[in-house]
Amino acid sequence: MKTFHLTVARVGENLFDGEAQFVTVPGEDGVLTVMANHEAFVTPLKSGTIRIEDAEGKKQEIEWEGTGLLEVSNNQATVIL
Amino acid sequence: MALKDIKAKIQATQRMNTVTRAMEAVSAVKMRKTQAAALEGRSYARAALSILARLSGSSELSNHPLAHARTGTKLALVVMTSDRGLAGALNSGVLRKAFEIVSGEYESVTVYAIGRKADEFFRRRNFTIAKAYENKQDQIELSVMEDLSREISNGFLAGEYDEVKAVYTNFKSTFEQVPSVRGLLPLTLESVSELVREIQPVRGKFSESAASSLEAPVRYTIEPEAGPVLDVLLPRLVAISLYHMLLESKASEHSARMVAMKNASDKSKEVARDLTRVYNKVRQAAITREVSEIVSGREALSV
Repeated sequence: MKTFHLTVARVGENLFDGEAQFVTVPGEDGVLTVMANHEAFVTPLKSGTIRIEDAEGKKQEIEWEGTGLLEVSNNQATVIL
Repeated sequence: MALKDIKAKIQATQRMNTVTRAMEAVSAVKMRKTQAAALEGRSYARAALSILARLSGSSELSNHPLAHARTGTKLALVVMTSDRGLAGALNSGVLRKAFEIVSGEYESVTVYAIGRKADEFFRRRNFTIAKAYENKQDQIELSVMEDLSREISNGFLAGEYDEVKAVYTNFKSTFEQVPSVRGLLPLTLESVSELVREIQPVRGKFSESAASSLEAPVRYTIEPEAGPVLDVLLPRLVAISLYHMLLESKASEHSARMVAMKNASDKSKEVARDLTRVYNKVRQAAITREVSEIVSGREALSV
């Protein structure tokens, strides 16, 4: 399965940094999933769970309270919390 | 000087040398750690910045309350110094720069002091200090930084300040730290992108790694629209800016202290060497005097 580079970060702290198969985030208008080669895209996020499946298929969950942003471009996704 | 006194002085100098050498080594390690932290935070800063760069053309940005330039002259100044001294000209450089700014034509000046040196400096000169933070820990406390960025953003939005500036020490290399001033609010694309570019030191261990610039903006789909994205993004950019300035100041503090301690170690070695020479001379003189006393004493007896 194709992968893309994903970074999930807070100021001063990287929560995830590496290749991923997909990431599911709580968008403001509903949950959405980003996979490899997604179009360039920006959207605000709300509180909820971020689910990541990395290149080896290992699943990871990050709970987040508050707002955030998801940015996708050039097969790179960045979640800033 | 008596022999015993010189000996005591040599020993004291050597003890001092041990201390300064240890401080030098400790500062070197801390400096490297801070630099590594600055690089790690860069992907965050870059992502936030590239979003901003792509939204910068929209009118929402210039109309956003945090980015809207005002004409008033009420200034809030964030001054970043260290808590402790023994770091060469580091703090005096920052404080001189800060004082230059506040001497300008401002209706009112409010100071946010980070580090005891800044607090003492402005308190002595009767400035309004809104908040003073300690800068003792080697790690940067996120809570402090979030607290500060919230406070200055609120002050700016409420119209208490028309402009927020920060004075900090920019880390260029181990031997070069430059006191710098940067506009924090109103937020502009230029000031933030300059900051991100400067995260990387000019020389040294971390200067060459992963030097990628901002890619040319691609076409973005913004969901639902630019306004809400900016609402989330701009406060974060303020926090990132503050965070990186703090990191730069930390790295500068440690490297300035390292260099200062290295100079002290070198000097104490030199002093110990000179003192040893004096000690030897004085000892030799004492021996010569004793010998001549014995000889002349004998000659007096044998007559």
